[in-house]
Amino acid sequence: MDQLLQHVVNALVLGGTYALLGIGLTLIFGIMNVVNFTHGALYTFGAYAMYLAAVALGLNFFVALPVALVAGLALGALLEFVLLRPLRRSDIDTTMLVMIGAGIILQSGTLWIFGGVAKAVPTPFPAEPLVIGPVSVSYVRLFVLAAALALIALTYVTINGTKLGRAMRATFQDHDTAALMGVNVSLIYTATFAIGSALASAAGALLGPVYVVFPQMGDLAAVKAFAIVILGGLGSISGATIGGFILAFAEELGAGYISSGYRDAMGFLIIIAVLLVKPTGLFARAERIG
Amino acid sequence: MTRLIAPLFLVVFALVPLWLNDPYLMNALIITGIFTICAMSLNLLLGYTGQLSLGHVAFFGIGAYVSALTALGFDVSLPFGLRITHEGGSPLLGFVLAILITGVTGYLIGRLSFRVRGAYFVIVTISFAEVVRLVALNWVELTQGPLALTSIPNMTLPLPGLGDLTLRTKMQNYYLVLGVAVLSYLVVARLVASRFGRAMRGLKENESLALSLGVNATRTLTIAATVSAAMAGAAGSLYAHYIRIIDPDVFLFSYTVTMVIMVVAGGKGSLAGPLVGGLIFGLLPVALRPVMAPEAQWIVYGGILIAILFVMPNGIVPALANLTARRRPASLTKTPETPAEAGAQS
Amino acid sequence: MQLTRRTTLAAMALALMSSTAFAQDTIKIGINQPLTGPFAASGTYVTNGAKIAADEINAKGGVLGKKIELVVEDNKSNPTEAAAVTEKLITSDKVPVLLGAWGSSLTLAAMPKLEEYSVPMLVETSSSGKITKSGNPYVFRISPPSSVEAQAFEPIAKKLGIKKADFLVINNDWGRGAAVEFSKVLKDNGIEVGLVETMDQSSQDMTAQLAKLKASDADTLMITAAVDQLTLLFKQMAALGIKKKVITTGGSQNPDQLVAQAGSTANGTLHLVAFAPWWPEKSPNPEEANAFITEWKKRGYDFAGTTESFRGYDGIRTIAAAIEAGGAADPASIQKGFWKVNIVGLNGPIKFEKEGPAGKESGQSKPEVYLIEIADGKIKPANP
Repeated sequence: MDQLLQHVVNALVLGGTYALLGIGLTLIFGIMNVVNFTHGALYTFGAYAMYLAAVALGLNFFVALPVALVAGLALGALLEFVLLRPLRRSDIDTTMLVMIGAGIILQSGTLWIFGGVAKAVPTPFPAEPLVIGPVSVSYVRLFVLAAALALIALTYVTINGTKLGRAMRATFQDHDTAALMGVNVSLIYTATFAIGSALASAAGALLGPVYVVFPQMGDLAAVKAFAIVILGGLGSISGATIGGFILAFAEELGAGYISSGYRDAMGFLIIIAVLLVKPTGLFARAERIG
Repeated sequence: MTRLIAPLFLVVFALVPLWLNDPYLMNALIITGIFTICAMSLNLLLGYTGQLSLGHVAFFGIGAYVSALTALGFDVSLPFGLRITHEGGSPLLGFVLAILITGVTGYLIGRLSFRVRGAYFVIVTISFAEVVRLVALNWVELTQGPLALTSIPNMTLPLPGLGDLTLRTKMQNYYLVLGVAVLSYLVVARLVASRFGRAMRGLKENESLALSLGVNATRTLTIAATVSAAMAGAAGSLYAHYIRIIDPDVFLFSYTVTMVIMVVAGGKGSLAGPLVGGLIFGLLPVALRPVMAPEAQWIVYGGILIAILFVMPNGIVPALANLTARRRPASLTKTPETPAEAGAQS
Repeated sequence: MQLTRRTTLAAMALALMSSTAFAQDTIKIGINQPLTGPFAASGTYVTNGAKIAADEINAKGGVLGKKIELVVEDNKSNPTEAAAVTEKLITSDKVPVLLGAWGSSLTLAAMPKLEEYSVPMLVETSSSGKITKSGNPYVFRISPPSSVEAQAFEPIAKKLGIKKADFLVINNDWGRGAAVEFSKVLKDNGIEVGLVETMDQSSQDMTAQLAKLKASDADTLMITAAVDQLTLLFKQMAALGIKKKVITTGGSQNPDQLVAQAGSTANGTLHLVAFAPWWPEKSPNPEEANAFITEWKKRGYDFAGTTESFRGYDGIRTIAAAIEAGGAADPASIQKGFWKVNIVGLNGPIKFEKEGPAGKESGQSKPEVYLIEIADGKIKPANP
């Protein structure tokens, strides 16, 4: 029982992280129909931005976080403007491949600049965990969970409660109609990609200090993000959030009670199962895309 | 012009071992050839049916494991007290089984994943490849997991009246890969030129129209997936018996990425596209290696990929075809895929 | 006449070609390491260690009167490339001997090529038992396979007072091999073995495995992983409030990096390491150890890397000794030379013993293993 409680707490903490990873990707995927293979690289970028701000520049931890987020926003806007805008009319394979190329460049560039040795980012939180009965959890993880939920809520409000969000939703439904109704679709695409990138970067900045920072850290994160998106359905923020928690629970309980070797397979097995039952994801709100 | 590419390739590549003595370059060509076969098989799905599979490496890896295990033998216990023991066999049998088993797997995966399209299909295929990788990693009794299958024998061909020929040298393996590549090319060419190929392209251009004309979408796509998987399995078998050691790294996602790059940059939906793309992106790392630092090689690789797609978003071969078509308006604007051409190559 | 002239010409040309081939003023050594991809950090450390050894040897006049020259190639952490690079080094660069290829799957992929061209390779890091047991007579290994490490651990295990141990290992040949070999040693000494949990080599979050281990009644946790994952494990163990005796194995722990990055959570952990750079005076070869560490620092490399880079350093020194002992810089002489090597490396004598099927034995050197402890952010020898 104690073990189960600990697993549940772990999954809740991990789920927030996964949700944050997923929502950035689901936005870009859903609205732009771009398989964003720079998602992992942007996650890594955020972690290194955090490292530079907090360690090299010596900024306060809580100041460095928004710096990394804004850096991700800027890089995302730049990537969209330079690489995706000229290819607006191309199909999903071409843009995906361009994103793969950009991902390779970003990752190799990181390796070249920083080397392969992992970096640690110190946190202002105590190393001693919070212990409640049989369960214990570190303060930094609780902070990350809170920050992730706050960012998810902020994104949700942006999409559902602002003018920009309305335009984004209109573009998601039908970009031609949106354009006819006076929406600046190019601007929406740039904004979408920038927001998605900022979320990936923020995830990296929050998790870099929890884990360690190294050039390949984004690879596994990207795979998880893809799994979360399919669980939640394309373009759905709440779907991605719930998808993140489902994945975290599946992994925790799978590793705890089935086999740790198959921990990373749990998410994918769920995906395959979901597609057998409900091919558009658990929480799809739109028709099939593609 | 594009109709000449394939026969020209064949002549040029049949002659290569006669003047190229450098084993390292021969090795690079053999590996490039194996991945070009994968690229051709992926092209059948991605290029002709428009379905982007990012799990193609799964079939390559399954083919490699089936072939290696057939040759090496295994002893595995299953639930309910079942136990399968297999003494080692001939690599050629492994090659055949690799094709059959990956074909069946492709059929089953096709049945499952063609319930969805587009981005969902992309993710299902990634998921499938990851699950297969993790099974290869964790089913240690069968695959030896991360401990790797080593000492895999070279491919052996029974020659009538001459006994068995074990392909040990670079040149023998080169011609083996070339032979399988030519066969794969012909299979794809035949298939896309048939009624079936028209159904595939119809689905790609306009699925609802094709359906209204009586095309059975799932059946068409599933057959394409089956053939495609079997070809990738054949390539995996060639890889296993050439490199002679495999471990779960044969399921590396970067191999899938390489295949997709070869197809899309070369030109999806054209017979010659994967050949051109395969050659360029197979040999580019070899060309970059002596010139610059390792990290810089990857950066330039990514840069060239982006540059090609910016100049030729549909890939190199279609771009060249358009160029020649503009000069000679009489010729076909689309890549020629007529039965006559397929016949001309045999 | 015509014929003889042509023959003489041809003979002269041949002589000229072969003399240029043999009159090289350097002896080339191929370095096959992962410089990009997931293992880039380790491969770069090993390569830098190798460079220090080469410079040191050249400063003393080289080997057989010739300077040694390292030809470094990146195997991209990928087995296909590891095989291709081996081929390139042997056939294009004409190296008579190689150092490589870090991970076991990389080394195993390179091995058929060694056999094909009859060129020996010194294996500096890989731990898979298959490397020396598969009957490849061109393989000489200085890193301890898990079985050797476990044997060296046996006398220590008795003194530590362990009653029951769980394992948490990386899911590759290295981790799985360690779990098997160490379990055997523990059981032989009447110590119970509990859970054996694995983690993917790219995993960053091991809380699920740790929660399960937390609930187990074992008093000791044996971990095999590289430094980055260990850092994460220690932090996550602290977060879960796991207070067991922790012993890490595998020799890629970089305790300094652990102290720097895992901070106080690393306190109280024990580590089996192959080289203890903190006390060069206690090394079996204090003079070389000092020289190596001084030079490493002088070049501005991270001190934490020494527990990996010493393999490259020892590797090149071993190869140089083999060339010297073989008497000529061709593959066959060097292969023979390896069997005569008897030097003192940074972690003990390097001397190859035969392993594998008779007639085709590989060489395995059995280095020493040290147990160290991290206490109050400092590294000290553990004296159980």
